[in-house]
Amino acid sequence: MSYFRKRLVRLSAVCIVFVWAGLWMQNIATAEDEREQNIEQSVVLIRCVQQDFDYITPWKQTSMVQGVGSGFVITGNRILTNAHNVSNIRYVELKKQNFAKRYPAKVEFIGHDCDLAILSVFDQSFFEGTWPLEFGGIPKVNTTVSTYGFPLGGQHISVTEGVVSRIQMDTYSHTGADSHLVIQTDAAINPGNSGGPVMQNGKVVGVAFQGIRLAENIGYMIPTTVIQHFLDDVNDGRYDSYGSLGFSYYRGLHNPGYKDYLKVPQEQDGVIVLRTTMNSSAEDVLQAGDVITQIDEYNVDDDGMVKIHDLTLLMGEVIEQKQIGESVEVTFFRDGQMRREKITIALNRPIMEYARSYDKAPGYVVFAGLTFVPVTRNFLENWGRDWLSDIPFCLRYLFSYSSQLNTERQRKGYIVLSEILSDKVNSYCGGFKSQVVETINGDTVYSLDDVAQACRKSTDSFCTIKFMGVEKPLILDAKQALESHEPILRKYQIPAESRMEKQL
Amino acid sequence: MNIRVVLKYLCLLCVGSCCLSAASADEKIAEKLKDSLVYVKISVYPYDQYRPWKKADVQEKSTYGCAVGPYQVLTTTYNISDATFVSIRIDAQNEYIPATVEVIDYESNLCLLRLEPNELAGPLVPIKFSENYKKGAEVQSYWFSYKGHIYSGRGFIDRAEVLKSSRSYAQFLNYVVSNASQRTSSAEVYFLGKKAIGIACWSSDEQEAGLISAEVINHFLADAAGSPKAAYEGFPVLGFSAIWLIDPTRRRYLKMPESMQKGVFVSDVYNLGTGSEELQQADIILEIDGISIDAHGRFKHPKFGLISFEHLITRRKVGETIKFEVWRDGKKQQLKVKARSFKASEMLVPYYEYDSQPQYMVIGGFILQKLTRGYLAARGEDWAGTADPHVFHYYRELAYKPTDERKDIVVLSYVLPAEINLGYQRLGSIVVSRFNGKDITSIKDLVEARQLETDSKYHVIEFENDNPVVVIPRKGLDLIDAQIAQRYGIQNLIHIEP
Repeated sequence: MSYFRKRLVRLSAVCIVFVWAGLWMQNIATAEDEREQNIEQSVVLIRCVQQDFDYITPWKQTSMVQGVGSGFVITGNRILTNAHNVSNIRYVELKKQNFAKRYPAKVEFIGHDCDLAILSVFDQSFFEGTWPLEFGGIPKVNTTVSTYGFPLGGQHISVTEGVVSRIQMDTYSHTGADSHLVIQTDAAINPGNSGGPVMQNGKVVGVAFQGIRLAENIGYMIPTTVIQHFLDDVNDGRYDSYGSLGFSYYRGLHNPGYKDYLKVPQEQDGVIVLRTTMNSSAEDVLQAGDVITQIDEYNVDDDGMVKIHDLTLLMGEVIEQKQIGESVEVTFFRDGQMRREKITIALNRPIMEYARSYDKAPGYVVFAGLTFVPVTRNFLENWGRDWLSDIPFCLRYLFSYSSQLNTERQRKGYIVLSEILSDKVNSYCGGFKSQVVETINGDTVYSLDDVAQACRKSTDSFCTIKFMGVEKPLILDAKQALESHEPILRKYQIPAESRMEKQL
Repeated sequence: MNIRVVLKYLCLLCVGSCCLSAASADEKIAEKLKDSLVYVKISVYPYDQYRPWKKADVQEKSTYGCAVGPYQVLTTTYNISDATFVSIRIDAQNEYIPATVEVIDYESNLCLLRLEPNELAGPLVPIKFSENYKKGAEVQSYWFSYKGHIYSGRGFIDRAEVLKSSRSYAQFLNYVVSNASQRTSSAEVYFLGKKAIGIACWSSDEQEAGLISAEVINHFLADAAGSPKAAYEGFPVLGFSAIWLIDPTRRRYLKMPESMQKGVFVSDVYNLGTGSEELQQADIILEIDGISIDAHGRFKHPKFGLISFEHLITRRKVGETIKFEVWRDGKKQQLKVKARSFKASEMLVPYYEYDSQPQYMVIGGFILQKLTRGYLAARGEDWAGTADPHVFHYYRELAYKPTDERKDIVVLSYVLPAEINLGYQRLGSIVVSRFNGKDITSIKDLVEARQLETDSKYHVIEFENDNPVVVIPRKGLDLIDAQIAQRYGIQNLIHIEP
């Protein structure tokens, strides 16, 4: 009996084990399906109408284009997507898979430098059945990730699997100038995928955002470090963007002779400061020839890399972990002495802005048919795909060397004669088109603000405009210029003679 | 057969015989030219601008020419630059006859070749260039092809125009032929009737051809004959740039009376050439040698009509005085301007450096080179758009403005990787400012600078703009340089002319 009972118990124990195992397996399957379903329900299709400005005659806007992208629900009934999906928009709506209803939405925050944006939806019923997706960390190289989104405008969600192939700092093509951490995968990322989540173990590990035109199966995502920086930044109700310290450096201390010449110990790695940006936070702290060896607790190697997030990344990544207004401690050698100084992180943008801008109505001034605009990346890109080699030389020189060529601290930018609205008064001004303004009636032009006033300040009967690198000034008859000003505005249907840059 | 039909036949016969006689006139000229026209074959072996210690590929080129003396042949400079061997073929001999370059003038784009009398069966028959010009007249072109035939083409004189040669910065009088039946741009000789009036130097897709005019050719030949080869001074060239002054507001701004409608505006004055010492920026040139210059910079030539004022300068001889009347500071001024020429090598960034080796120094694998237009252009078709803008601005804005403080621009071209230049291997296209503490004002300074600061452990090279300082250990450098030379196949680590 006792033997029987024993067996029975054993058997039942085995059965229980089997039953448990069965139930457990079933549970797992259900949870995975549910999670998969939750992810799919939380990924949304974004449709919008985008319209940019004409940067040569900025009172005009270019033709409208329809854009399609992806986004996903995050905490606080918000949608996270790429900035490029919703920049320069005039209208945006969301659609959930398997639902016909469209939900008009609004951009709450947009970070062009990190290509991220947060949308809100007017109709809160949109969030029924959705699930805020959680964020994970940086995935390991050679692990599998899944990309969710609506590539090429399809109505149904597409899920593709890929492998994380590389993690590095790279340029974000939305602005064409900012560089942050990116994760490369071999999952196909096509137009429309942008803004969709890249998942691993049920958590978001990135936002799909760009590919390479000439390469097959290379897609990039924005890692959660950058996403978190963006989310932290907007906590105060405003996006301030990434900051920097404001210096350029050279990675060449591999040379023992150079190390010796700069009086840096041979065993010490570091990078050499070449220049500090005018009016930057580093300007009073660093100088050319300083050798930076450490940023906060991170040692900088001769390639300018630090060990961070279990990866070897450019030292800028240390600064990327912080917000504007925070500071870092920089250790550097000068004249053989080691120094340690705090530098506050600030915007520190160069005098000639390299980054493409969005959601701003560009400024302009029209005087007697002469149209003045600031030199911006957007303006220069009017020269087409090969704009950097096709733009007039004076603009190319300034674009590449503005920080070396500018010696004036009060300068805010450069102003160019972008267009001439033909009239008798300006018949002979054609040769000055696309030249950069130096002075107007003797006053140096440091920004667009200076232009309108300087144009009307004619000391004698002439209005003279001097351009950089051009000996011969542009001459207008001052009286004629004032008389023809209003008729020209009317003839060319210009709503206002000027507009300063305005955030939309 | 009525009288009308007879007349028609007679007319047709007349036209036919006219054509025949025209054709036979052409044939007669062609026959006469057989001892004057030559085919020129050239072996060209230029230096490699980016590896200035070696030459690029040998190329076989050809052009045409014509005798201007019993043993002298005139051609253009196309294909003659960087020639290592020139030979000609003539109708009377089967074999190629060696020729040497006697005078080559890249400004006027003319070249005089000399033949050894004992290589020729007999002297050539020289062609005389006649300064005939008739707008709208039909002209014939002739050349001696490599097949041994005299070929011909025709066209009409459309205009006389002062044009910039693609070979140099100078501008010369061209006759422009329209409706040219053949592409002619290689010194084919053009005739107006029985007189040679010029040689072809360019052609376009619009069936136009440019001729170097008889005036320019005769000026060149007179200069070349009058002096030994080494002393050839060439043509006076402009030492300033001038632009139209058609804007009435600007004329008033320059305090010019309304009745004065002439004058061209001096927009920039160089440090070389005619007018560089006498003229000022913003001068208005009213007259040259008593001839009025209009607001487009043209004057009325008795033969050619309205042509650009540059001709009034290039037609003169170097050293002569040219009278300028200018409008300066609200009044007329008379200037005595010396007709000056200059050599491309005198420029801050030489426009060309044909027939010579680029100047450079290789030290520790760093290639320091003199900046020239040829160096920049070797980048390829879009060289102006892709060159570093700072380097390029020296060519674009300051090429004609050398000073005592700055005679050349020296660039670090690139670095030949070796252990000694670790960390610097991606540097290139940057302008050298100092070498061992010495300001680098010309390529020649490198030689002296290298001998400085001998107590220092390092050679130190500094650059313009934000660039690292290059530090090259002196110890064992000669041996390392020798190894670099051997590894990269460099015959000479330095070529700097004394």
